[in-house]
Parts: sequence; C-alpha cells; structure tokens
Amino acid sequence: MPAAPRADRRDFYEILDVPRTATQDEIQRAYRKLARQHHPDVNKDPGAEDRFKEISEAYDVLSDPQTRRRYDAFGPDFRQVPEDVDPEAYQRSRAGAGGGQAGGPGGAGGFGTGPGGDFGGINLEDILGGIFAGRGFGPIPGADQEAGLELSVEEAFQGGQRSVTLEGPDGRRTLDVRIPAGVTNGQRIRLAGQGGRGSEGAPNGDLYFVVRIAPHPRYRVEGRDLYVDLPLAPWEAALGTTAAVETPRGEMKVKVPPGTSTGKRLRLRHHGLPHPRGGAGHLYAEVKIVVPAKLTDEERRLFEQLAAVSTFDPRRR
Amino acid sequence: MGYALVLVRSASLNLEAFARTTGTHPDLVRRLVALGILDADRDAAGELWFARSQVAAMGRVQRLRAGFGLNYAAVGLVTDLLDRIAVLEAALQEARRPGR
Repeated sequence: MPAAPRADRRDFYEILDVPRTATQDEIQRAYRKLARQHHPDVNKDPGAEDRFKEISEAYDVLSDPQTRRRYDAFGPDFRQVPEDVDPEAYQRSRAGAGGGQAGGPGGAGGFGTGPGGDFGGINLEDILGGIFAGRGFGPIPGADQEAGLELSVEEAFQGGQRSVTLEGPDGRRTLDVRIPAGVTNGQRIRLAGQGGRGSEGAPNGDLYFVVRIAPHPRYRVEGRDLYVDLPLAPWEAALGTTAAVETPRGEMKVKVPPGTSTGKRLRLRHHGLPHPRGGAGHLYAEVKIVVPAKLTDEERRLFEQLAAVSTFDPRRR
Repeated sequence: MGYALVLVRSASLNLEAFARTTGTHPDLVRRLVALGILDADRDAAGELWFARSQVAAMGRVQRLRAGFGLNYAAVGLVTDLLDRIAVLEAALQEARRPGR
C-alpha cells in the first residue's frame, strides 16, 4: 500500500543535521550515528522506523555526489527534472510559474514529469519500497516495536478498552487496545502485525504494549498483590477491632486481632488483581499505628495512667 | 476478545520451509546456524529444525545486515548485545518499580 505523500517533507541536510557545505565524510558520519540510534532493531519506539527511513533516504541522496548536486540544484523535486536541465533555467521557470511551492503538485512549471505523472510529493515507498528493499536483500520482515502503556490500578483491575495514539509509518494512528483484566507491570500486550512494515510482501512485525501500572495514592502493586495502609489507633491495635479497607471492588471489612503492631499484614484473600488464568492476587492491609497529634486532657490522663501501670517495653531484647 | 489474539503455530520448520518462509537461501541459513546466529535443532537424520521464533530472528539478521552493511559475524555480535541489553533493561525496569 503506497504511503500518502507527505506535506511536511524536511530538507535532507536538516534530517542528517549537517550544513549544506558538509563533506562526504561528514555526511557519512552523521548518517552512521543517526542510523545506529534509530535502526528499528536498536530502537523499539514506533516512531523510530519513520525516522530511520527518513535518514536512509537523505543519506541515499546526499552520499552520491551526483544526486547530491542535483538535489542542491533542483531541491526535493530533483527526481522529476530531466538530466540535461540547466539549474538556473529551472529556477527561472519555477519562479515564472508562481513557484515557491517546492514539492507541490504541478509546481514543476514547464518541465514534464514523464509517464507516471505526478511526483509532486515524492512517495517514499516508491523510492525505497520499505526501508530495506531495493538494496538487493529481498523481502525482509518488519521489526517488532514496543510502546509503553500506563494504566491505573483500577484499569488493570477491571480491564477494558483504551484508545492509544502512536506515531506510525503512515503518520498518526489510533489503536483500540483491549486491556485484559488483571494485567500486571511489565506484561506485554501484543497487537499482531501492527509493528514495523515488512518489505516486498514480507510480514509486518508485531507491536507490543508494555504495561506499567501508574503509582497510586492508595495502592502499591507487587505482581498481582495489592498493598494498602491500614491506620489504627493504639487502642484499636491493642484491643482488636473491625476496620473498613478500600479495595478496587469497594469497601471491605477486615478483622484486626488484638495485639496487632505496625507492619503486620492482614490478608484479604484473592482481593488483589485478577488473574485471567488462575487465582487472583491478594490484598494486604498493612497496619500503621497512628497517635493523635494533640491529646485531650482526658486522653493524656488515661495514657499517663496506662504508662504508670504497664510493664510493656517495646525495646526489650 | 479482540485485543491480542494471535494464532500460535508451534510446529517447527525444516530447513527448506524456513528458508522459504524467510525468503532466504538454505545455504545462508545453514551458515547462520553454524555461526550460532540462528538456533536450530538437529534430528536423528541430521536435518535442521527451526522454532517459529527464529523467523523473527532471521528478519532481524536481515535488517541489521541491510541497515548497517554488517557481515554475519558482526550481526552475531550485535544480536547478542541487543539481547543482553533487553535483559538488562527489563531487570532495571523491574528494580525501579515503585513499592519495591
């Protein structure tokens, strides 16, 4: 499928980040450096393939002194200008035709485009046939790509549909990703055939969304287990109580046994993140004893009384 | 569900089928196995068998070769390094996760 002509074609020198006066050596150095950064097997970002393609095309043109001269003389339309055309005559002709529309359809003034017609926006696919084709390597499958997908704990718990916009080979594309309930950190959701494009009919690569669960003000996530703080008053911790705990499914009651200290974990079985093919994770309520910042006179009196009576020493070894 | 249902074909490919699928010559495939760039099992009759995952590995070899003009020994080094980096990045990401 040919790609749509690009309206935002950038200057080849700009793409390689070299001045127009760059030597062949400088052009090659710049290309090698950029190609290493953006090669689709080195850089899994979905935008890298586009960038690599751009860099390769710029290098293909600028690395050959003859094509480079023609590019310098005729600009992005150089491929449609016949070999024997004088650059100055070409510029005059373009000016006469109300030019300045480099690359625009019909902007080539008096020069025919030959059979096949409109080369206005140069079609990358026709020139490169995919990134690697046309270089004697035959059909090459597309590379797999990776993109991050940040989900809230609630989204990971419930699953659902999410629209994700990515920069792809044909510009922006929006994908509807169905998130299975119970995805966890680091898990990969595969969209078959949505990765880098294969050349000459070879299959496309796959696109992987790598799930990252966003930090949550209440829950900490470890695998499929959820951890939540359970603040208790000292007397609740000492005497035992029943306390309400927020879970993704709603409020749950948890029984706190007498003599519970900070750090103790109370488990709510299978109230963590669900598992599509197995037991759900657990939810752990972690006890945190909290004292009033300011005591009333009565509270102070009672605590003092307790301190006088009690033989408990939390620092005894 | 429509999100990531992918047909999993676990059957291995023999040398000819692998070469056909990847659009390469069997001699080249044999050479890459000898260089340790592709993984293959050899059956009792000495025939090479390739897991499906090796099709993607072959694609990567072809892209690295085409993109950088690498020879096959260099492709082997680069793929090893890329795999090691992937493992390290995954470990780093795991270690950086909040709540650990």
